Amino acid sequence: MAQTINTNAVTYGDGNINCPNINNSYNTNIYQSDEDAQIMRWLSPLEPGNRHDSVRTGRFNGVRDWLLETRQWREWRGGEDGVDKVVLFCSGNPGVGKTYLR
Amino acid sequence: MIDTLCDQAKEEDLVVACLYCDYRVQQDQTTTNMMGAILKQLVGRGGIPEDIREAFQEAKKVVGGTRPLLEDQMRMLKIAIASFSQVFICIDALDECLPKNLLELLESLRDISRESPKTRIFLTGRPHVKEAIQRYFAKAIVIPISPNQHDIRNYLEMRLDRDDEPEAMNNDLRADIVRSILGNMSDMCVCVSPLSTMYTY
Repeated sequence: MAQTINTNAVTYGDGNINCPNINNSYNTNIYQSDEDAQIMRWLSPLEPGNRHDSVRTGRFNGVRDWLLETRQWREWRGGEDGVDKVVLFCSGNPGVGKTYLR
Repeated sequence: MIDTLCDQAKEEDLVVACLYCDYRVQQDQTTTNMMGAILKQLVGRGGIPEDIREAFQEAKKVVGGTRPLLEDQMRMLKIAIASFSQVFICIDALDECLPKNLLELLESLRDISRESPKTRIFLTGRPHVKEAIQRYFAKAIVIPISPNQHDIRNYLEMRLDRDDEPEAMNNDLRADIVRSILGNMSDMCVCVSPLSTMYTY
């Protein structure tokens, strides 16, 4: 049974077929057992960590640091409890570098 | 941006989860799977909580196994979020979600923020998804992003430094390239092809 439960749970690269297989500090999961790995696949077949590795290696320093200096960022980041400052939305057309903000 | 938050997370008891929407795997990026992907990142480090382990064992009892429903994911996610002092959820390229998934995703995020008001949500997407976001988060902070000359110049300099045929390059040509690309910037909405590797997404 344990083998059949995840037959549909394909691990996608999330569009990152060629993403480099590197280790970093971002949400690297080390599973304690086979069951833990099965539970992770059961929760979701998506693996966003793979894509993040690709983005961080494709980025270079100096781009988009300004966002962290904005009043809006500080208000959102340090916001008090409450729904007012819950969401920060960076809006832009394709290709302006939203993904590569740092 | 995520890395900046992660660096800060090491010092505080907060956690960052991210998602990248991708039109190429749209059919699999259901709200249920996306919430599950956020949940995975929250529970992956500190050991899987007992409630999730039990839900998995229950699902295994059904012949062939059953996938978690959205309501299951939301219940498990809320419990996981409550175990941290603060959670940041970052979702890139919302416009690449199917429209029906986008609204359901935003509704789920609103549900989470009502349950855990400290949760912070960072979203990116094309301008047209703003209306959808504001249906669920009327006071969302919106920052328009556009390419600026400073970023483009930095990037061009970096790429020219890495040119694999340096003998074909000289300072005059280099200056010409930078000047002509920057000069055309004002006419562009989307960057020209030499920049496509930077601005692919």
